Amino acid sequence: MASLRDSWAVTQREVERWRRSPIYLVLMLLLPLLSFAFFATLFHKGVAEGLPIAVVDEDHTSLSRSLVEMLSATPLAEVVYEPTSVMEAKRLMREGQIMAFVVVPDQFEAAIFANRQTAIHNFISGSNLSINGLLAKDIQVAAMTFIAGVEFQRLTQEGLPEQMALAEVMPIRLDTHTLFNPYLNYGYYLSPSFMPMMLLIFVVLATIFSIGVELKEGSAREWLTTARGNIEVALAGKLLPQTLLFSLVALVMLAVISGVVATPFQGSVGLIIVATLLLVASYQAIAIVIIALVANLRLSLSLGGGYSVLAFTFSGATFPVMAMWKPLQWLSRLFPFTYYTEISIDQLLRGTPALYSLPYLAAMALFLLLPLLALRRLKRVCNQPKFWGKS
Amino acid sequence: MKRLLRQLRSYWEQFLTILCHELRIIFTDAGVMLILLFALLIYSTIYACAYAPEVVRRVPIGVIDQSHTATSRRLIAQLDASANLAIAYEPSDMEEAKRLFYARRIYGVVYIPADYEASLYAGEQATLALYADASYMLIYRQIFEGVATTVSQTGGEISLLRALDAGLDTPLPAPIIYQNHTLFNPYLGYATFLMPAVILTVIQQTLLIGVGMIGGTWREERLYRVLRPKTRRRISTLPLVVGRGVAYLLLYALTGGIALAILYPLFGYPMKGALGAVVCMVGLYTVACIALALALSTLFCRREESLLLLLWTSIPILLLSGVSFPKEGMPDWLYRAGLLLPSSHGIEGFVRIQTMGASLSEVFSEVKALLLLTLLYGGLACLSTHRIIRKEAS
Repeated sequence: MASLRDSWAVTQREVERWRRSPIYLVLMLLLPLLSFAFFATLFHKGVAEGLPIAVVDEDHTSLSRSLVEMLSATPLAEVVYEPTSVMEAKRLMREGQIMAFVVVPDQFEAAIFANRQTAIHNFISGSNLSINGLLAKDIQVAAMTFIAGVEFQRLTQEGLPEQMALAEVMPIRLDTHTLFNPYLNYGYYLSPSFMPMMLLIFVVLATIFSIGVELKEGSAREWLTTARGNIEVALAGKLLPQTLLFSLVALVMLAVISGVVATPFQGSVGLIIVATLLLVASYQAIAIVIIALVANLRLSLSLGGGYSVLAFTFSGATFPVMAMWKPLQWLSRLFPFTYYTEISIDQLLRGTPALYSLPYLAAMALFLLLPLLALRRLKRVCNQPKFWGKS
Repeated sequence: MKRLLRQLRSYWEQFLTILCHELRIIFTDAGVMLILLFALLIYSTIYACAYAPEVVRRVPIGVIDQSHTATSRRLIAQLDASANLAIAYEPSDMEEAKRLFYARRIYGVVYIPADYEASLYAGEQATLALYADASYMLIYRQIFEGVATTVSQTGGEISLLRALDAGLDTPLPAPIIYQNHTLFNPYLGYATFLMPAVILTVIQQTLLIGVGMIGGTWREERLYRVLRPKTRRRISTLPLVVGRGVAYLLLYALTGGIALAILYPLFGYPMKGALGAVVCMVGLYTVACIALALALSTLFCRREESLLLLLWTSIPILLLSGVSFPKEGMPDWLYRAGLLLPSSHGIEGFVRIQTMGASLSEVFSEVKALLLLTLLYGGLACLSTHRIIRKEAS
């Protein structure tokens, strides 16, 4: 009971510190909400459209014009230039004006009528991966539709029945069912990763700061005294209001993801909430260990900040972990965010049965044990003046 | 005239003092050194290693074969032979496939219907179904690529076989070929695509945070007073701003040089740009970042403030540049607001120079923007510094 009272005293002291120094609420409330607003705004449209491309029409016939029109009609691309040569098109690309150009060769229509082989070439920039896949596919569909149409017409004109002509033009039809992100919407796919990423950066920084600043200002002993020398109580009392506030912010984040960005929540909402709260707690745990071991505010912030920024890369949300080198695949397991990403994709996008996500939850929970290793060191650091005043 | 000469001489001496002192601050502070000196190299290396495989190969998929014929087995073998795919399982039905999928054993399913071979022999169109997971974009793309290409090749073989069968006395309609050529990053490598943007973003962010830290140090240790030259009432603005700026420029000439001259070729990223163009672009970009960093640093009163307040901006800034998320996909006003940052221009220009081989004249709009931003933020830095000097002196 006494420790509960002491803990409450520490909590009151902490909240008083928040009141005196605006940086706490800026870090824990203002900036996280700002970052969520940023991503909600960024992904508001969700899909790109009107990507500028060019067509080099060396044929100038009605057939080539109908191809140009078909390309213009695609949802993603927009023909903004019709340069007279491939050299000019390449220059436009290097100037950043277009992302791809389609070349219709000379004698295109004539070749088709004379039954000679001809080709449509698409040159697309590979420097932007996020655009490349969708744009290439779009242009390909437009071109292939055009080609199929021309060949279909030729075959039916020669007297082949329609069904057979279709089978001739496209012997195997591939029915693609895109699972779990059917509109290939960036917002759905990326915001469940970016927003928690922001949250964890603030969790790490705020936790390190709230402990480290006591060392820098030399008030660490007073903090411990409020808990009557008991480091567990001191830590619990200090971090409790933070955990509560961050949990609230986390719930707001989930609301923004589901409400504003409108990412589907296909699976267990409860599981996602638990996972998000565990995310907050596990990164607090890691932060405690960092400041306890390093005992220097600025260096801890640099290290903690540096570690948290890496979380996104190793989460596999963009470049899959399974494609990385083996040692780095192991490294990715040292980030609670990696497990969170799996859970979030499972429960938000895929609607996976909860059972499959439980091992990831357990892995995240393991991180909560970390501070136990650092408690003694933290107590020593708080009590010895040689660790104070350093920033 | 004599007054002007005396003024210039004092400026020069102050400039040297500031330059040396700034370098000393950097090299005696572990937290600052980590950010200004080591971060660029450490992060570049870590990211480069993480993305080093560049492409995702051998994505595990499952095949449900309801046909059980030689033709379907042949298709399965061809799918497995694709570099992008690896047939990991042959589930007996969709339920089993779903379980494998949830357990992350497979990321897609190809469904071969019972009448596959029969349709092809009858000269009819056969249908295949592909269920591919788009919750991991890159994985989805590789599955789609691998399956679509295999199916298209198989379809082509079938067309040819049918034509041979039909005895080639009817003239075969010559095909119109569609060919896709991927320029500049032909294998669509992830590292090749992202690393230029990552390196430049890290340059800007480390400068903003690191210089901001030192800005906080200046306020905490009242260096505006301490470093006042004896013969003057207060420290002069211009040598202060330029002196600090040159210190950082020297530092980043070193670390940036290592990143671009050693790391780049080590990981095999395209270096199509002319040396002059690269140095110009990166140099100008660094100067613009330093100007912005100096301007911002005057706002920080405590050393740790810049890290606390600016670290989170790193990922948003990378996204705003339009590299990993197309600018046509974001609200126009947001993209324009991002144009106030050197990163949006520097990254664009640098990628086009190095990856596409653009010349300086082809990135002129980016060069122009960076020059304007340098003037803008340099001016703000001087104004803001001047204000602080006056305040501290009184």
